[in-house]
Amino acid sequence: MKKISFVLIVLALISGFVFASGSSETAAPADSNTVRVGLLCIGDENDQGYTYNFIRGRDEATEMLKADGINVEWVTKYNIGEDATCRDANIEAAEEGCQIIINNSYGFEPFMLEVVDDYPEIEFISCTNCASAFDGRDNTHNAFANIYEGRYIAGVVAGLKLQQMIDEGTITPEQAIIGYVGAYSFAEVISGFTSYFLGARSVCPSVTMKVSFVGSWSDATAESDAALALADQGCVMISQHSDNTTPATAAQSRGVFHTGYNNDMTGIAPNASLISTRIDWGIYFYEAIKAYVNGEEIPQDWCKGMGDGAVVMTQLNEAIAAPGTAEKIAEVEQAIADGTIQVFDTSTFTVNGEELTHAFALDTDGDFTADSEEAVYDGAFHESVFQSAPYFTVQIDGIEWLNAAY
Amino acid sequence: MMSTEARTPMVRLAKRSDMSPRMIWCIRFGSILIALLLGCIPILLTGSNPIAAYEVIVAGSLSRPIYIRQTIRIAIPLLGCALAIAPCFKMRFWNIGAEGQITMGAVFASYFALFWVNRIPHVPLLIVMGIASAIAGGIWALIPAFFKAKWNTNETLFTLMMNYIAIGIVAWLQGGPWEGRKGSQLIPMFNDAARLPEVFRVNCGWIIVLVLAVLMHIYMNKTKQGYEIAVIGDSVNTARYAGMNVGWIMMRTMFISGAISGLVGFIIVSGANYTLYKGVANGVGFTSITVAWLSQLNSFAMIAISMVLAILEKGANTLQTRMQIPASIADIITGILLFCMLSSEFFINYRLIFRRKDEKGKEADA
Repeated sequence: MKKISFVLIVLALISGFVFASGSSETAAPADSNTVRVGLLCIGDENDQGYTYNFIRGRDEATEMLKADGINVEWVTKYNIGEDATCRDANIEAAEEGCQIIINNSYGFEPFMLEVVDDYPEIEFISCTNCASAFDGRDNTHNAFANIYEGRYIAGVVAGLKLQQMIDEGTITPEQAIIGYVGAYSFAEVISGFTSYFLGARSVCPSVTMKVSFVGSWSDATAESDAALALADQGCVMISQHSDNTTPATAAQSRGVFHTGYNNDMTGIAPNASLISTRIDWGIYFYEAIKAYVNGEEIPQDWCKGMGDGAVVMTQLNEAIAAPGTAEKIAEVEQAIADGTIQVFDTSTFTVNGEELTHAFALDTDGDFTADSEEAVYDGAFHESVFQSAPYFTVQIDGIEWLNAAY
Repeated sequence: MMSTEARTPMVRLAKRSDMSPRMIWCIRFGSILIALLLGCIPILLTGSNPIAAYEVIVAGSLSRPIYIRQTIRIAIPLLGCALAIAPCFKMRFWNIGAEGQITMGAVFASYFALFWVNRIPHVPLLIVMGIASAIAGGIWALIPAFFKAKWNTNETLFTLMMNYIAIGIVAWLQGGPWEGRKGSQLIPMFNDAARLPEVFRVNCGWIIVLVLAVLMHIYMNKTKQGYEIAVIGDSVNTARYAGMNVGWIMMRTMFISGAISGLVGFIIVSGANYTLYKGVANGVGFTSITVAWLSQLNSFAMIAISMVLAILEKGANTLQTRMQIPASIADIITGILLFCMLSSEFFINYRLIFRRKDEKGKEADA
C-alpha cells in the first residue's frame, strides 16, 4: 500500500513537470526602449522609511525616464532577508528577464555576489555597499549618496533650535544635549551622527550628544525605548539613524524636539519633528537606467550629493523651527555645494583632544580594517570620495557613546 | 439510562479501522482537491486568477533546470530534518527542537569553515565539519533527553526553548566575535574549500539525505534499536516490563536525531548559504514535523512530501515576482493545504456519528 502511495505521488510530480513545461515563459522585453529592472527590498513601503524611500525613487525615476521615451518594467520584491533568500531573489529576478537588478540593503551584497557570475549580461547594483571596486567584475556596481551633507543641515536646524532655547532661557547652555538613536556602531551610522553633531555645533557651540545603539536596523519598539531613555537622560533633541518613525513619536510624547531620516516625520509628530533628510534615489535610478539603455556603462561606484539633488531635505516644520532657519538652510546648502563648507573640517573637531591628521578610507585586503587611501587632506576628512559607502569611523570629542552594537 | 439519552451529543467520534486502501486514497486526494479550492479564496481576494496562480507556482518551481535545482535545494534540509525527527516521534518523544539542533550543527560546521580553512585541505575539512556538526546537534538534543530520562521534564517545552538559545548564540556570534566588517552584522562568506561540491549542479547534500533516507528506513524497520523505539512509542510500560532501559533508549535516540539535524545544519551552511546567520534553520525544524507526519514516518514518503512543500515554497516566490501576489498569500495557501492533508488523516482514523431525531437515545450500532 505504501509503495502504491509513493508511486502515485511521484506520478503527480512528473505530471507537474509536464504541466509546467507548457506554461508561458517570461523573457526580457524585445523593445529596445523598454527595460526590465528588478528592485529587491529589505522591507516594504509600510515602513514609511527606508524601503518606502526607494519606492519613491523608483516611481520618480519611472516618470523621468518616460519623459525621455524609456519605459521601465519594474519587478519589485519585498521583505527579503539579508540571507540566502536574497540570493534566490536575485536568481529569480534574473530568470524573470530583468536586465538590471538593484539590491537595496547593505547586507544583500555578499549573497548577490554569489549569483552575478552566472549572469554576466545582467547588471547588478548593490546600494550602500562597496565590493564592486575590488571584485574584478564588470557587471557589479555600487551606489550611495552624500547623506552626511543632509545630516549636517539637519544638525544645523537642530542647533538653531537649541540655541533659540538657550537664548530664551528655556535651557542652560549645558543642557543643550542631543540624543541620537543609532542602529549599529557601523561606519554609515557613525558618519551620519558625527556630521549631524558638527552641523548642530556650528550654530550652537555648547551642544553635546549622547548616542544609543539599538542593535537593529528596524525595531520600532527598541527605537522608541532608546529615544524615551535619551529624553529621560536630559536630551532635548532626538535624531535617529534607524528605519522607523517611533523616535519621532517618542520625542513628541516627552515634549522634546526631533529631526528624522528617510521620510518627512512632521505628519506624525507635528510638535516635535523639525525636518528630515533623505536620499533621492530617483536621481541615481534615472542615471543608471538611462546609461544602460543608451549602451553606456553604469558607473562602477556612484555617489552624488545635494548639489545634484541626490540628497534632499524634507519640508521644514516652520511652526516650531527657530526663526531664520529656512534662510540658514539655503545658505549652508549653497556653501556645501560650492565647497566653502567641508562637513568634516578637521579644525572643527578633535579626537582625544587632538586634531585628526590621519585616517584610511578603504579596506583592500578584506580584513575589514581600512588600510589604504588617506582620507584626511586639505584640512578635512573626505567622506565618500574613495568609495560611495561611508567610511568615517572616528569617535570625536563631544559625542558620548552610551553603548556599542557591532 | 435516562441521563445518557439526554446527553447524547450531536456528533460523536468513533475509531474506525475498516476502511479500504482505495477509500483512504480517495480521501487523501479529495483533501488536496478541497485545499486547492479553498486556496482560491485568498488568491481571488488579491484580484488574481487562481488557475493562473497555480500554474505560476508549478512553473516557478519546475519549469526550468535552475528552478528545479532551487526547489531541490529547499527540499534537502526538509527531508533530512524529517528523517531526523522520525525516530523521536515514533517513540512519542515530541522533539520540536530540530530548529536549534540544526542551528548548533551549523555553528560548529561554520567554526571549522571560518577558522580552519587554511589548515585542513578540502575534503578532510568537509568531513571534520560534518562530524563536528553531528556531534554538536546530537549534544544539543541530548540535553533535554537527559532531563526527560532523569527527572521526567516536559520535552516539548524543553526542546522548544533550546531553539531560542541556539538562535541567540548565533545572533551573538553574528554581531560579536565572528562579525566581518564592524557593525555589519554579517559573518564573512565561506572560502571555496569549505563549500560542499555540487553534483548535477546541486550541492551533494541531496545524495547525503537520500542515503540517510535508506539508512533510516533500515534502522527503523530492521534493527533491534528500531524495534525498541517502536515498543516505547506504543507503551512505555510494556517496554519496561520487557526489560528495556527506557531512559537510555530515549537519550540514544535523541542523540541520533540531533546528530542528523546537526548534519542538516552543516549541509545548509556549507552547501546552500555559504555563511552563518541566525535564521539559518529558517523554520525547517518545524516544517519538517509536518513532513514527517504527512509521511506517517515513512522515510520514502518523506522524499515526495518534502518535494511537494519545496515546490510550494519556491513557487510562492515566483508568484510574488510574476503576479505581485504577496508572499504571505502563498504561505496561507500552504497552510490550507497542510491543514487539509493532516485533517484527512483524522477522517481516515475516525468516523463521525450524527444524532438522528428518530433514534433518540438508541446507540448507533457501528
